[in-house]
Amino acid sequence: MSNSTYKVPIGPQHPALKEPENFLLTVDGEEIIDVKIRLGYVHRGGEKAFENRTYVQGLYLIERVCGICAMAHQLCYVNNLEPMMDVEAPPRAQYIRTIVAELERVHSHLLWLGVAAHEIGFDTLFMYCWRDREVSLDLMEMITGNRVLHAANTIGGVRRDLTADMISKTRKGIALLKKRTEYYKKLVLAEKTILKRALGVGILSTKDAAELCAVGPTARASNVKKDVRKDDPYSAYDEIPFNLITYDLCDVASRVLVRVDELIESANIIEYSLDHLPTGPIGVRAPRSIPPGENVSIVEAPRGEDIHYCKSNGTDKPERYKVRAPTLGNWASMAKMLIGGYVADVPITLAAIDPCMSCTDRVAFIDANSGKNWIWSTEQIKKYSKKNGGR
Amino acid sequence: MIIEILKLLIIPGIFFLFTLALFYQWLDRRFLARLQNRRGPMHTGSHGTLQPLADFIKLLAKEDIEPEAVDKPVFRGVPILLSTISITALFFIPIWGVKAFVHFEGDLIFMTFLMTLIAILAFLGGWSSTNRFSTIGGLRAAMQTLGYEVPLSLAFIGPAIVAKSLSISKIVEWQASTGIWAIILNPLGFGIAIIALLAELEKVPFDLPEAETELVAGWQTEFSGRKLALLRFAFDLELVLAAGLITSLFLGGPAGPFYNIPWVGVIWFFIKTTIVVLILSNLRGLFARFRIDQMVSGCWKYLVPLAIIQIIFLQLVLG
Amino acid sequence: MAMERELLRHLVKKPATIIYPFESPEPIEGTRAKVEIDILKCIGCGTCIHDCPAYALEMVGKGLTCDMKWYPGRCVFCGQCVESCPRNAIKQTAEHDLATTESVESAGMMSERFVEFNRPKKE
Ligand code: SF4
Ligand code: SF4
Repeated sequence: MSNSTYKVPIGPQHPALKEPENFLLTVDGEEIIDVKIRLGYVHRGGEKAFENRTYVQGLYLIERVCGICAMAHQLCYVNNLEPMMDVEAPPRAQYIRTIVAELERVHSHLLWLGVAAHEIGFDTLFMYCWRDREVSLDLMEMITGNRVLHAANTIGGVRRDLTADMISKTRKGIALLKKRTEYYKKLVLAEKTILKRALGVGILSTKDAAELCAVGPTARASNVKKDVRKDDPYSAYDEIPFNLITYDLCDVASRVLVRVDELIESANIIEYSLDHLPTGPIGVRAPRSIPPGENVSIVEAPRGEDIHYCKSNGTDKPERYKVRAPTLGNWASMAKMLIGGYVADVPITLAAIDPCMSCTDRVAFIDANSGKNWIWSTEQIKKYSKKNGGR
Repeated sequence: MIIEILKLLIIPGIFFLFTLALFYQWLDRRFLARLQNRRGPMHTGSHGTLQPLADFIKLLAKEDIEPEAVDKPVFRGVPILLSTISITALFFIPIWGVKAFVHFEGDLIFMTFLMTLIAILAFLGGWSSTNRFSTIGGLRAAMQTLGYEVPLSLAFIGPAIVAKSLSISKIVEWQASTGIWAIILNPLGFGIAIIALLAELEKVPFDLPEAETELVAGWQTEFSGRKLALLRFAFDLELVLAAGLITSLFLGGPAGPFYNIPWVGVIWFFIKTTIVVLILSNLRGLFARFRIDQMVSGCWKYLVPLAIIQIIFLQLVLG
Repeated sequence: MAMERELLRHLVKKPATIIYPFESPEPIEGTRAKVEIDILKCIGCGTCIHDCPAYALEMVGKGLTCDMKWYPGRCVFCGQCVESCPRNAIKQTAEHDLATTESVESAGMMSERFVEFNRPKKE
């Protein structure tokens, strides 16, 4: 290492990071020339916990993978289990799932817009976005019973029906949100100080995005046409017309625009689903245990594609449950975005992929001195947990 | 003699300035909160008026941590110097009448010197902390000075040219006697001074030295307890200083109808500074933060030429 | 400067935030909060305990004098117990001010009608 470079650690505790993670930047003056990402600070052993819980209990554990994409994870979970149990949710349930999932996208993207504004020091926009996000949270509380961690699904359907009163209230809320979103779009395009911080920052070329398997809005902002809702429709998405939003600026500004446009698109999807809501039951009875087998399901969470894998063994508990949260798919491209940028742009570049660290954390053992790394087998983990008085 | 000391301590002096500083902090917080559709401080005192005082006392009572690696004399000196310099600078502002507590020919130059000193102290504070974030914050504070210093001084020269004096008190006196506020001849200078003072106060969009999401608390990261209380207090005083300077140089200071009657001048001064503080907090809510390179180059590209145009304009008008 | 009009518009608007302990937010119908168990309806089947993802329910005692205990500190307010109960003995109310300084264990709540249920049986 030459003398002119030095190392700046960002995290594990840093105001730009809402969750602990470590980025070791090698900088030359203000320019970043190398990044090392270190995960694992908030590993919670969630996948292991599934093996001790029944499928019904798992419904609520899966939401806690991520508080903000709770619905997406739960949707992925039930989509995964329903074919294995040989049940199918009735059409009305599918539509209600779609509505809640899109409401969640609205709340997640508004939240992100606020966080991004805060990262570039625009606190007024942050306050406004979070205030407007309240509307979508209240709608979700009305529909599902909780602001976050909605627990809207059950295996074989949804838990609460939409009443006429709820539908009219939802329409009103969505109309308001749409108006606000249009205003934010106008604002983002007109406010010079935002553009100055966003244009040309954190470039991820289309080629890199495709090669490094970026997912979700991050990929779409680099002009990669990739959206599970289009590519492999689940719930009611195959019946609902909507546009796949892409932008080709490949920078933070285009990530903002993709999300703002998706907000409007989500509002349209909700309105369409409310108009075309089928009648009928909202759920079917599902068995408690699953015959041996395995299955994979994919759902487009607000942050990108979310992949779940389940292996059953004939009991009412899964043998193995694996979650690949969207942020993990974006870490590889993160390094590309940071290298060549300014230190001052790190917070906004980091925030632009809408990272959710604890959903993503993996654990491995590394001997810091020798650089050797290894992982534990199931038996070793079991032995370790028995020794320490685990359940 | 006793009266002089009492004056220094109470009425135009330290106690009065202290109250004013806390009041303007409250005003700034409340106004910004209302702009952002929030409420701001609510509970301490009527509508939260005592919140700044409560914060100050709370910080005083907190543990004062001094990291091992800091450069102790400088680290301890910075908060004290910062608040004393701010108070000293405030004595040059005419508040109770057209004459300031301290005044001499050329005190405007001395004032710009004091303001530079404040920025240099910020740099020293960051540097002596030896923390990575503090160091970068301190460097940014110094860099920022390079950007706003020149336009700020040029903007201050405008009223001086109009009043043909380099003393703040004389400038105010001239405005009071002729009834012409310097802003009429210096509209550009007024805008430039406001922008540059935002940078001096380290407020959005120029809060780079303490950019929270980038640098934790910037150059103040390592300060805690009493030191942090003094730093915050110094910032409040700087806000009064900035508002007072703008008022004196551009808005006629305590001048206004019946300003010669005691207390009336103060009321005029108060109204005008309040308006300036409101303008400053409005601007705070309006922008995103600049990057340091954008800030410095923007200052030189736009503010300096505009300030020069302002002076040329003045020379042409005044012949 | 694109936001100036919006800012000034908000100056005359009522703030969106509320002064919480003195004002409370408008209640929304159907909120899942406090769990209440009607012990008179309960048949002691244990389905709710088996299904609770947070292990927040417990059966205390045995036979006719048994009671259900609910730990608000553990509960995640998912409502699965309400759904699982075959006798509709559990309901969730919108009461959400459940914060307490007690420990999770000691904050456990017995069902309210337990005493009423127990008295005639003892005679
Ligand atoms: S609401 Fe959920 S967590 Fe709470 S007691 Fe019922 S099942 Fe358990
Ligand atoms: S499920 Fe209902 S009946 Fe069964 S133990 Fe629980 S409360 Fe009692």
